[in-house]
Amino acid sequence: MAVSRRGLMATAAALPFLMRAEEALAQGVQPKRGGTLTTIVNPEPPVLHIGINNQGPTLIVAGKMFQGLLRYDAKLQPMPELAKSWEISPDGLEYTFRLQENVKFHDGQPMTAEDVVFSIMKFHMELSPRARGVFGRIKEGIAVDANTVKFVLSAPFEPFLLMFDVTVSAIVPKHLFDGQDYRQAPAVAKPVGTGPFRFAEWQRGNFIRLERFDDYWKPNQPYLDAIIYRVVPDSQSRRLALESGQVMMTQSNDIEPFDVPQLRARPNFEVKTEGWEYFGPLMWVEFNHRVKPLDDVRVRRALTMAVNRDFIAQRLWFGIGKPATGPFHSATRFYDGSAKTPGYDLNAAKALLDEAGLKPNGQGVRFTIRHMSLPYGEVFTRLAEFLRQSFRQVGVDLQLESVDVGTWSQRTANWDFDTTINYLYQYGDPTLGVERSYVSTNIKKILFSNVSGYANPKVDELFTKGRDAADPAVRQEAFSEVQKLLVSDVPLLWLMEMAFPTIYDKKLHNVITSGAGVHASFDDVFLA
Amino acid sequence: MGGFWRNFCRNRGAVVGLVILLLVIATAVAAPWLFPGSPWDMAGMPFAPPGEMGMWLGTDSLGRDVAAGIAHGARVSLLVGAVSTVVALVIGIGLGATAGYLGGVADDIVMRFTEFFQTIPSFVLAILLVAIFTPTIGSIVFAIAVVSWPPVARVVRAEFLSLRSREFVQASEVLGKSRLAIVFGDILPNALSPIVVLSSLMVASAILLESALSFLGLGDPNLMSWGFLIGSGRSVIRIAWWMSVFPGIAIFLTVLSLNLVGEGLSDALNPRLARNREGKA
Amino acid sequence: MELSRFPAYLAGRLVKAAVVVLAIVVCNFFLIHAAPGDPASIIAGQSGSADARFLEQLRAQFGLDQPLYMQLWLYLKGVLTLDLGFSHRQQASVAALLWDRLPATLLLTGAAFLFAIAIGVTMGALAARRVGTWSDSVITVLALTFYATPLFWVGLMLVLLFSVTLEWLPSFGMMSVGVELSRIGRVLDIGKHLLLPALTLGLFYVAVYARLTRATMLEVADQDFVKTARAKGVPEGRILRRHVLRNAMLPVITFAGIQAGQLIGGSILVETVFAWPGIGRLAFEALLARDYQVLMGVFFCTSVMVVLFNLITDLLYAVVDPRVEVS
Repeated sequence: MAVSRRGLMATAAALPFLMRAEEALAQGVQPKRGGTLTTIVNPEPPVLHIGINNQGPTLIVAGKMFQGLLRYDAKLQPMPELAKSWEISPDGLEYTFRLQENVKFHDGQPMTAEDVVFSIMKFHMELSPRARGVFGRIKEGIAVDANTVKFVLSAPFEPFLLMFDVTVSAIVPKHLFDGQDYRQAPAVAKPVGTGPFRFAEWQRGNFIRLERFDDYWKPNQPYLDAIIYRVVPDSQSRRLALESGQVMMTQSNDIEPFDVPQLRARPNFEVKTEGWEYFGPLMWVEFNHRVKPLDDVRVRRALTMAVNRDFIAQRLWFGIGKPATGPFHSATRFYDGSAKTPGYDLNAAKALLDEAGLKPNGQGVRFTIRHMSLPYGEVFTRLAEFLRQSFRQVGVDLQLESVDVGTWSQRTANWDFDTTINYLYQYGDPTLGVERSYVSTNIKKILFSNVSGYANPKVDELFTKGRDAADPAVRQEAFSEVQKLLVSDVPLLWLMEMAFPTIYDKKLHNVITSGAGVHASFDDVFLA
Repeated sequence: MGGFWRNFCRNRGAVVGLVILLLVIATAVAAPWLFPGSPWDMAGMPFAPPGEMGMWLGTDSLGRDVAAGIAHGARVSLLVGAVSTVVALVIGIGLGATAGYLGGVADDIVMRFTEFFQTIPSFVLAILLVAIFTPTIGSIVFAIAVVSWPPVARVVRAEFLSLRSREFVQASEVLGKSRLAIVFGDILPNALSPIVVLSSLMVASAILLESALSFLGLGDPNLMSWGFLIGSGRSVIRIAWWMSVFPGIAIFLTVLSLNLVGEGLSDALNPRLARNREGKA
Repeated sequence: MELSRFPAYLAGRLVKAAVVVLAIVVCNFFLIHAAPGDPASIIAGQSGSADARFLEQLRAQFGLDQPLYMQLWLYLKGVLTLDLGFSHRQQASVAALLWDRLPATLLLTGAAFLFAIAIGVTMGALAARRVGTWSDSVITVLALTFYATPLFWVGLMLVLLFSVTLEWLPSFGMMSVGVELSRIGRVLDIGKHLLLPALTLGLFYVAVYARLTRATMLEVADQDFVKTARAKGVPEGRILRRHVLRNAMLPVITFAGIQAGQLIGGSILVETVFAWPGIGRLAFEALLARDYQVLMGVFFCTSVMVVLFNLITDLLYAVVDPRVEVS
């Protein structure tokens, strides 16, 4: 078992270089040196140092300056980055990484195994809750020699290898952080990484400029001279900037979904929705199970059946993303397509509500609940309005509350809501990104915990089983069962597997080459 | 009263304004009959241009009828505009008159208080207030009133300050009229025309302020207002121009009518000026 | 005004101004902290994962673990020594952040203000002079149109026309990035970027000034001292300049004083539409992110500016209207 896995990964390791060369050749273009990529970052990141801040925009920009040990393709198979190869011991406890040679930080210091051990065992452990959850399982991190790192786990943890992307465990320079308060270190303001681009200039509110790192460890790369991230807070200005050629590329939430069809129609733009597989964002309606009658599974199922998810994906998101089928994003490992949440059926929904004893009053209203809109842009406001009309059709009155991000964060974390929208990254593996929303041990007054208050001992048990099993087959079994259970309990109303459009000028090549898309280092991106 | 009307009607613009304003009010009152059902209902295909599918002003991104939205929105927008202006006027005139007439310490205190409110960027304060109290129609009216009264207070104070030393006020004082009688009987009527002009502008700016709040996502999500319509149409302006153009026209017409009426009122309340104007024209 | 009384008057006013600013700082402090949510919870929310330790660390770092009165005391102590604090969220001192953004806002609002005053007062005076005529109507309608159209809508229309259709002017930002420009080239470049936002922000106030100038000029023109002047045979142009316009400036000055604060508020919208890197947007973003120190810094900074502006306004009053005493 362990052997076959290693074999698979070795093949995967060799593939990407071939693939990328082929891709470029297939397009009939040779990589070319030179040129500046202008693009957009929105909202403006508060800090550019990965780890100190792990918000989306920070990760995208810092992803050019920093690197992880591995990268991942769209199928979540690991590919070499700062680690050129890796081995897993047959008992699943020891992970050994061999590092690339001659890797330098932007300040000229060599990157060694010491930096890797420091980054994983100290830096991210201290700063990142996500890293803490997994790296806490490392019993020992050893720099075997300058170019070899070994991590020994206290117990097998099958998804461990998914944790080495730049977005979760970027390698940072030990010599600039060790022994200091990481958040206050001078290097935070002037990030120093191993990536193909180095920090050059940041005019707040205006632009961030990264320039080519000439001592980058891949010979003759990167191809670009510089990358400029312009700060444009308004979505229409962003679209105009793209259309008028003032920027060459947009990503993430830059362009509102309703603008995408028109941009797609333009011959000079490429529109891709790939490149988010590593994150696997899934959006849902959060039910507060402490609020009556949302504690009744019949009510939750009826509300699920009152929503036309195809309309949401097609009319609100214009085909960017697809309807959710259940609690797992279809790109997440161990996804089981046979566990399907019930479809759009108004009559069945009404029947269920009748059965739950919620009869309509004189105005046709069965009950009234509040809904806190997600303050992440216009389309979420439309979604809230759509839900209100949808629920209204089965006699449920939804009172909308519009809030800003601060209020939303606080009230969601404090369970002060009836329903709201949320979307969470699943990070490729149910243990890493799905479990947290459903297990009763994670019912906490913290965002991204199980804020709905759903509890089912059987579900807890299955998630634990799936987490601790070393054998993927055992994990698959546990997670298939958990998906069936969740679909029948309807703890949340799963709406959509989200995707984000990356739109760029066709002169740009190799933009999306991995499952992390625009978060990649862009060392192979070129203009031709 | 007859004289007032004659003077008002002498200003043709004012009559046009009054007609438009009455039409807007009539639309607001008649909205539930003109467009039965909720303006939030999805009535057709999204982004249907005007004239298609029987929606003569088109539909929005969820297929809602823009015309229904404008008719129902008139109720909310007018209400927000009127109520917040009345509240602001009461505060502003009260404080401004006190400061301007009494002068001295009272003036000092009031002016510090006014300065206090003017020194905070009003739009930011409005956003802050709405954010704290969460966006509902009540918190929006409150926030708009709180940021709108200082100009009234300042203008009223300035008028009082310059009127108070006028001969006719001094005459009344010599005659032994009470302070209240002087303030309301002598000074206020003479200070009224800038207040009237200002308040017609204020209703309009309240409507605009509400739209700006909606534009930033701080409107009452359960009420259809013109601000909401423009806010939601703004980002799709290049796909569906009608979504922001028509509510924009509704606001424009309402503001225009309010201003014309305000001017007519000012003429009618200040006949000397009106006659003088006529003589010149 | 007697010159000898001036220093004492000025000192008195400055003390009062300081009190107002201090009161604003305290009041803002409580208002801002009354808003639900805090910077730590927002950062947690935007990072996609959180645990109790993460929140604790952030709150300790931001000084939010201290009681509120302590936080206020520390902040006031800082302000008194002109230390506006540190934005932990942005890892930069508030003064530096403000200093980065202030020039852009001053440029934008200054340009808009001058444009509004120049065009507005001219339009108002013209309309008042030709009251009741065709040109009066045109100016009035024009002013009303400017006034009645939402700011961001005007901005978008201008962008559609001048940037998209005609391709004359850039649609956003303050300067071209990534191009080498000479000093003069840079100034022209910024000027090109400034045109649309300043126009958008200014148009609204053009309307305000035009209407106000017209209304008050008509009122003043009707007053006795003007009639007297006219009866004495003073030429009409001279009456207009010396008597009418001068007195009509009173409410205009009042409004101008108010504007210092309002322009900055209004520039939030314009700065958002045009991606102009000013403090209006900084304030809005700080509010949404509950970046208390930055938001209070912006309030403090604008407060000081407005108080100074009001002081100048009051002094101007005394110059323009001899009936107002300096008291």
